[in-house]
Amino acid sequence: METASVFDIYRGTTHDGPGLRSTVFFQSCPLSCRWCHNPEGITAAPGVWWEARSCIGCMLCQDACPVSANPAGETGIHIDRERCIRCGSCVDACPTGAMSFIAREWSLPALLDEVLRDQAFYQKTGGGVTASGGECMVQHAFVARFFQELKAQGVNTALDTSGFAAFSAFEEVLPYVDYVLYDLKLLDASAHRQFTGQDNSFILENARKIASAVKEERFRAELWIRTPLIPGATATAENLAAIGDFIAGQMEGQVRRWELCAFNNSCITKYQRLGLPWACQDVPLLRKEETEALRKAAVSGGVDNELVFVTGLLRE
Amino acid sequence: MSKLKNTYEPAFVPGSRLKQVIQYNQELAISGRRNLYTADSDQLVYHWTDKANGIVPQSGEWSSPKETSFSLGDHACRVDIGVGFPAYDEVPSHLEGYEATPLSWAKDYACLLANSPAEIHPFESIVGEFHWEMNEVRKYYFGDRVHELGHEVRALGAGGTSHGHTCLDLGIGLREGWCGILARIEKSLALYTRLEHPDKINYLQGLKIICTAIMDYIQKHADRALALAEETDDPAQKELYLFVAKDCAQIASGKPETYHQAIQWIQFAIMTDRMVGHGNGYGHLDLYLNDFFLKDTAAGLLTRQDAREYLAELFLKVRGQHFTICGRLKDGSDATNEMSRVILESYDMVDDYNNLFLMWHKDMDQEVFSYACDVLARHGASVPTFCNYDLMVDCELRSGVDPEVAWTVAVGGCQWFSIPGREYCDQDVNSIVLLDPMWRAMDRAIQTNTSDFEVFYQMFVEEFKRTTEALRIFKDAQYEVLDKIWPEMATSLHFHGPIERGTDITGHRGVDVQYTSVNILGIPNVADSMYAMKKLVFEQHAYTLAEVRKAVSENWENNEVMRQRFLHQDKYGNDIDDVDFLLVRITDMIAEVLDHTYNNRGQQYRASLFQFQGHTAVSVLPATPDGRLAQEPLAHGCNPTAGRNTKGLMATANSLAKIHNYKFLGGTLQVELQPKFFDGKENLADYIRTFTEAFFAMNTFQINLNIIDLEKLKDAIDHPENPEYQNIIIKVTGYTTRFICLAKPFQIEFCGRTNYESM
Repeated sequence: METASVFDIYRGTTHDGPGLRSTVFFQSCPLSCRWCHNPEGITAAPGVWWEARSCIGCMLCQDACPVSANPAGETGIHIDRERCIRCGSCVDACPTGAMSFIAREWSLPALLDEVLRDQAFYQKTGGGVTASGGECMVQHAFVARFFQELKAQGVNTALDTSGFAAFSAFEEVLPYVDYVLYDLKLLDASAHRQFTGQDNSFILENARKIASAVKEERFRAELWIRTPLIPGATATAENLAAIGDFIAGQMEGQVRRWELCAFNNSCITKYQRLGLPWACQDVPLLRKEETEALRKAAVSGGVDNELVFVTGLLRE
Repeated sequence: MSKLKNTYEPAFVPGSRLKQVIQYNQELAISGRRNLYTADSDQLVYHWTDKANGIVPQSGEWSSPKETSFSLGDHACRVDIGVGFPAYDEVPSHLEGYEATPLSWAKDYACLLANSPAEIHPFESIVGEFHWEMNEVRKYYFGDRVHELGHEVRALGAGGTSHGHTCLDLGIGLREGWCGILARIEKSLALYTRLEHPDKINYLQGLKIICTAIMDYIQKHADRALALAEETDDPAQKELYLFVAKDCAQIASGKPETYHQAIQWIQFAIMTDRMVGHGNGYGHLDLYLNDFFLKDTAAGLLTRQDAREYLAELFLKVRGQHFTICGRLKDGSDATNEMSRVILESYDMVDDYNNLFLMWHKDMDQEVFSYACDVLARHGASVPTFCNYDLMVDCELRSGVDPEVAWTVAVGGCQWFSIPGREYCDQDVNSIVLLDPMWRAMDRAIQTNTSDFEVFYQMFVEEFKRTTEALRIFKDAQYEVLDKIWPEMATSLHFHGPIERGTDITGHRGVDVQYTSVNILGIPNVADSMYAMKKLVFEQHAYTLAEVRKAVSENWENNEVMRQRFLHQDKYGNDIDDVDFLLVRITDMIAEVLDHTYNNRGQQYRASLFQFQGHTAVSVLPATPDGRLAQEPLAHGCNPTAGRNTKGLMATANSLAKIHNYKFLGGTLQVELQPKFFDGKENLADYIRTFTEAFFAMNTFQINLNIIDLEKLKDAIDHPENPEYQNIIIKVTGYTTRFICLAKPFQIEFCGRTNYESM
C-alpha cells in the first residue's frame, strides 16, 4: 500500500493558512536552512530520538538494543546514528515514550481518517488541512492523492512549500490545492546557497510558473508568499525589498498575501534531542521597530501594503 | 516575553461614581471578606460530612476553624465583618426551643433579617449587603438516621446534601412585587385554614412571616437612606441617598416600576435568598429587564450608560450569581434582546467577578454572539460562559419535563441547569466517586481470579449500582425530613407552586420537577484506568490485577517502570476511539443505572459529567491505575486529566463530543488558552465564535474559556500582594473567582492544567 513518511501532525494550527487547520509534516527536505524549525524532518531516514524530559533512567532501551547504539553519556542517552539499524527495539522497551521514532509511515486511508476527524472545525472556521514538512513535495505523488481525496470530501487544502521541486510535480499536486503557501527566503543567489544549501533559481522559476498558471486559471489556488525573518540572514531591508520587487514584478499580480514570519528559537529542544549544534539558538526575537522597518522595505517595490502581514512573537 | 493575559482598550468606561463603587468592592474581595469556605477535602469529594451540611457556617457554634477550611474564592454574597450574629441569644429557636417546622424556621429567618443592618455605602445606587447566613443562626442537622446512612453511603463512595442549588424565577416578583406575593400567601393561608390542613397552615404562616420580614428589611434600607441624606452636606451624595430611599420605599411595598427599581428588586431578592444558604441560579436576566429598559429609555428616564452602571453594581454585589441570557422563546424564536447586549456591555465595562452564561443556539442574533465572543476574547475570564441551549432543552425533555416549560431552561449554577421557578434541583451537592466501585470490582476480580475483562467490567457495573442504591436510600432519608428541618422558604417565594400548594420546594411536589442529580467524580480516570488494565492485565498479561491493586495502594512506590507503562497507554481526550469509547460505554452505563433509579418523589436520578472541585482533593484520593500518582489531581469533570491530552484542543473536543451528552445534566469543556495564541491575529473573536459553533454543532454543553498564561500565573501563588495579580479573575470549574482568593491547593491544581497553545 502507498504510504507516506510523516514526522508530525499538528491539530488546530492557525499559522499555516486560514482558519483552524491540521498541518501534516512530511519527512525529508532537499534544503538545509540554517534556521530550520523542524531539523528532525530534513533527513529521509530519521530513525529514533530520545527525550530527556520523559526519561526515568531505567536503561531498558540499552538492554534491548541489539547493536549497542544507545550508550548513556553524561547528558543522557546518546544515539549513535551510524550504528543504529532503526529496528525499534528500544522504542518498544521504553516505558515512558522517551525513546520514539521521529517519523512514522501513514497509509492514505489512515492519514485521511486522522485529519478528517476535525472536519467540523475546518468547515466552521474556514480552515482545512495543510501539507508541510520537511518539504512535502518530496512525497508529491502521495500528497497529490491525499489532497485529491480531501477535495472530494470538501476539505480546504494548503500546500506549504519551499518551491524546491520539479514543476511537473507541482502540476500533479496543484489541481487539488486551495492555498499555496510559497516560501521566498532570500533573493540573492549566493546568500540562498550559503544559508539553505541550495540554489534559488529553481525556486524563483517555479514561483513565476505557478503565478502565471494561476493567472491563466489552470489552477484555482490562491497564492500566498511567506518569508521567514531571520536576523543575520533574511531579515535585511535589501532582501525584503528584493523579494518585494520580485513579487511585484514577476508574479503576475497573483499574490494575495505575503506573511513576514518573525523568528523565534522555541525549537531549540529539537536540536538538543538530535544532539546537533544550532547556529540560531541565541538569536533574539525581533522588535516591533525592526519588523516595521522590514515591512516598509518589503512594500517599497510596489507590493500593496494591505497584503503584507507580520506574524509571530516579537520582543516587548 | 510572553504575557499573563490579554490587554486591550476598554470599550466602555465607568463613570466616576461607579469607579468608587468598584474600588470598594474590589477591596472587599481582595481582603478576603467575600471568601466562601468548604469544610475539608472530604466535603469536596463526597459533598457530605457529618461536620457540616454544605458550605461551612462562618460563625456560631457550628462553624469550623478557618485554618482547616479551604477558600473557594471570592464567591460569597455574604460580606464578612469578622463578628458573629449579634442577636444570637435572641434567635427564637434558641429562646423558645428548636422545632423542626417551617414556622420555627421562618421565625429564625425573620430574626436574622430584623437584626441585620441596612448597609448603604457612599456612591452606591444599588444597595444591600449582609453579614450572616441562616446556618450561622439556626441548627442545620438532618437527624441521627441520616447521619448513620451518611457514613454507610460514604463507605461505598457517595454522599450528598440538599440545599440551595436550584434556579429561581425572579420574573414572578418583578411582575407582582412583594405585595403581590404576600397577597397570594394570605389567600392560600385562608384556603387551608378553612380546609383545616395544619401542615400547610404552619408553612404558610411561616411564608407570611418571611415575606413580611423581607418587606420590612427593604423598608429599613429606605429609612436608612433617608437618614443618611439628612446627615450629608454633599448635594450629589444627598441626591443619591434620596434616589435610593425613594426606590427602596417603592419596592418595599409596591411593584418595581422602573429599570433601577427592577435591579434593586433583584438585588434584594438575591440577597434574601443567599442569606438562606448558597448556590442558586437566578434565571433569564435579559428577559427580566428588557421591558423596564425599553420603557425607561423611551421615556427619557434612563441612558444606556446608566443602565450599564446600575447593572454593574448588581454584578459587583451579588457574588456567585449565575445569570443567563439569550436562548429561545416559547415559539422557538431567538430570545436575544437589547438587554442581552446591555448586559454584555455592562460586564465589558466593569470587568470583575461574574458568572454570566450565554445560551447559544444556531439561530441566535449573530451580532450579539460576535460581540459576546469579542468580550470573551478581550477579557479572557470565561465571561460569558457559552452553553448550548437546544441540548439543555433536550436533556430536560429526556427526563420528562413538560415541553410547555422545558423551553424556559436556564443555567442554575456552575455547569448545570434547571427550570427556573419550577424545579427543585439539588444538583452539585450530590456526588458519586467513580473510583470506589472500581476498587471493589478489582478486589472481587482478584478474589475470583477473573481473567476476562468483560467479567471484570460487569463487576464494576454491579458495584456502581450498589453505590447508587445506597445513595438513593440516603437521599430519601434526607427528603423525608428536608422540608421540616431546612425548608427553603425565602427561595420558595420565587417558585410556581409552593404558595398555592402550601408546600415548600423541598417538600413532596412543592414544585412539579424534583429530580435528583448527581455529580460523578473521576470518570476519565476510571476510563483510562480500566483501559490500561484491559491492555496490560487482561490482554498482554504483563501484570496481574493484584499487582496493580498493590502498586496503586502504595502510590506506585518502587514501581516507576510499571507506572510509566500504565501512564503511557492510550488516554481519553486524544480522539483515539478505543479508549474514548470505553469512556462513552461507562457514561452510558451511568445514565442507564440512574434512569432506573427513582427518588421518593417518584422522579428519576440524573448524572452530570462534572464535579466542581472534588478532583483537587488529593489527600483523600489514592493513586489510580491510569498511572496517576496520589498527589496529582483527578480529571476535572469529563475533561482529560491534565497533561494526558497531547493532541491539542480539537482532539480533546472531539473526544468529549463522543459522549451522548443529551443523557446528562451538563459537562464542560474547560480550556486554558495561552494569550499568545491571539498575537498578531486579526479578528480575535472569530476564532472563538467559529470554534464554539463547530463544538456545539456536535451536541456538547459548555465551554469555559480562560485566556491566561499558567506558567506566569504561578508567580501569583506566592505573591498575592502584587497589584498585577489582585484582579486576575478566572473560571475555576463552573464558578469564577479572583485567583488570589482561592485556597493554595486549588491554585496549584489550576496552574497545573493543560495550557493550550491553540484553539
